[in-house]
Amino acid sequence: MIRLWCIQVLAIIRLEMKKTFLSRRGLWIYLLAFAPVLLFMGQSISTAHRRDELQRIASEHPISSEDLSTLRTGINRDEVTQKLGEPYYQWRGRHGQSEQAHCKYTDGTVDVYLFFRDGKLAGIDRREFDNLPLFSQIFAGVFQSYYLRLAVFFGCVGIFINLFRGEMLDKSLHFYLLTPVRREVLLAGKYAAGLLATIVIFTSSTALQWLALLWQFDDATVAAFLTTTGWSQFSSYLVVTALACVGYGSVFVAVGLLFRNPVVPTAVILLWEGVNPFLPAALKKVSMIYYLQSLCPLTAAPANDVPGFVHLLIAPVQPATRPMAVISIVLLTLVVLVVAARLSRRMEINYSTE
Amino acid sequence: MSDDRIILDNVSRFYGEVLGVNRVTLSIPPGITSLVGPNGSGKTTLMNLITGLVRPSRGRISVLGVDPSQPQKLFRLVGYSTQFDTFPKGLSGSKFIFSYLRLSGRPAAECREVTARAIEQVGLVEAADRKVAAYSKGMRQRIRLAQAIAHDPRVLILDEPLNGLDPLVRSKTIALFKQYAAEGRHVVISSHVLHEVDMISDQVVLMSGGYIVAEGGIRGVRSEIQEERPMQFLIRCRQPNLMASKAFEQDHVVEARLLGEGEGVLVKTRDADRFCRALNHLALNGIDIEGVIPVDDNVHSVYEYLIGGEEATQ
Repeated sequence: MIRLWCIQVLAIIRLEMKKTFLSRRGLWIYLLAFAPVLLFMGQSISTAHRRDELQRIASEHPISSEDLSTLRTGINRDEVTQKLGEPYYQWRGRHGQSEQAHCKYTDGTVDVYLFFRDGKLAGIDRREFDNLPLFSQIFAGVFQSYYLRLAVFFGCVGIFINLFRGEMLDKSLHFYLLTPVRREVLLAGKYAAGLLATIVIFTSSTALQWLALLWQFDDATVAAFLTTTGWSQFSSYLVVTALACVGYGSVFVAVGLLFRNPVVPTAVILLWEGVNPFLPAALKKVSMIYYLQSLCPLTAAPANDVPGFVHLLIAPVQPATRPMAVISIVLLTLVVLVVAARLSRRMEINYSTE
Repeated sequence: MSDDRIILDNVSRFYGEVLGVNRVTLSIPPGITSLVGPNGSGKTTLMNLITGLVRPSRGRISVLGVDPSQPQKLFRLVGYSTQFDTFPKGLSGSKFIFSYLRLSGRPAAECREVTARAIEQVGLVEAADRKVAAYSKGMRQRIRLAQAIAHDPRVLILDEPLNGLDPLVRSKTIALFKQYAAEGRHVVISSHVLHEVDMISDQVVLMSGGYIVAEGGIRGVRSEIQEERPMQFLIRCRQPNLMASKAFEQDHVVEARLLGEGEGVLVKTRDADRFCRALNHLALNGIDIEGVIPVDDNVHSVYEYLIGGEEATQ
């Protein structure tokens, strides 16, 4: 019997493949999934270009990294000039009663931006262009705030809801229901097809984002990073992406099966996942994003000027342990699929009311 | 429940407050059974109930002993050609049949063979590799029929299967249904084309407003209503006046009308059997009868009497 079910699931996957991967209706999913790849690629190109420029400037105005790192606020402009020489960029002006000046120095890897008020150094901003761990923090931020919460979420909405709703709207679902396939097996087959599509699309996007991020660094830096924490981070992101597809997929295949208009339940789920950081600990655990974020290898560190609630969105306050997070996602998925399978037995064809 | 019949036991189906079918009790034997009724009479709902595409609000259904809520068993016995004229996108005719056949768990080679046979049976061999989206209405009808018969079902349910078919294909399709019936299978057809229903059906189920109005062999149904709707016979003979007066002597004859020159006598009777015996007697006593034609002993007339003429289409 199990062999027959496997054959049937495979036959369903074959039928669904073209619809899930190449549907015109689903082209936006590729855009959603691969937008971060373009973002990281653009950033990578721009950073590499900027680094070349800084190295050229540094060769023309050599400054030691030690001198740059010893700068402290409160010293006056002349002391800075005495220590570092003339900046490669400067600007002076007045703002109200105070005199202000900005200037920039570089040692070829760090771009240091100094802000003077009334002749005293009032602020220092360092932009590092050769710090791979720093870039992996940026990746963590994008992954947790955009990729998991929006791209994978809406990608799963697009693919999994259409498995049943799309066929209802196309009036072709009845062909499945006229075959000797248990409704539960049909659900499993469609879910597997959706899972295959989302995992391929989103994990390949994750891998490409990673590639785009690493592209700007030289081989030695990349090798050093990968051998220390890189590979572990990379594989974790792939696993988290796949688990997000597993979890959200189960939820949205059920939504597509049960709801004639999936917009409302999708909005409710989005809201629930969105407010998760602000929920009490017990309620937090009834969501996918909590466990997914708990599995992320890095806690994203947003810039200091980012509001507190955004910090919460990016990083859970009390993450679950990794085994607990994986088990919870799998359990939530199974519960949702079992409920959906039971309800699928009551599924009817009534296109006239669609 | 019977293992060789399709049985509906007091089945009702409501769509909210709208009636689909109500208190339908049927026992359909092998052979060709036609569901006849105007639009909205519940024919498609009845077929969808039998095939499990909709569930009954009340009552029980059994198809050769199988509950329609068990598709894994039902669709090894049943083939259903629906009225929905839509198909999965991007599939050719043969790919369409093959892909859904694979769901039965048969090996690919066997499915290919079965697909080819089904396509040949409906005469679509040349168009088999074309996309279904490029098919004409009649071809789409045939590919649906091919899908329904591909797995060699014991029960064939066909919703308006003759719609859109050209005369040649229509007659081939009817021959196929007759062959299925002759092999002892169930063929349940819904149709508006009453003369074809009359020609091919072993029994009819007349439906109106979600109710079964009458069921059985068409002649049986006709004789059941002869009290309210006397049966009409056209009698061609050489002495129409004498024939008319002799007919009037029978107490069950309610009307005997002389038609135009040489057209004979139209007789209406409440008891067809006794009238036929009386005709034999008259023939033996010297009235030269050339022919006796039952005028309203067909589905069309029964349909008109029971359901109303304005809905009868052809």
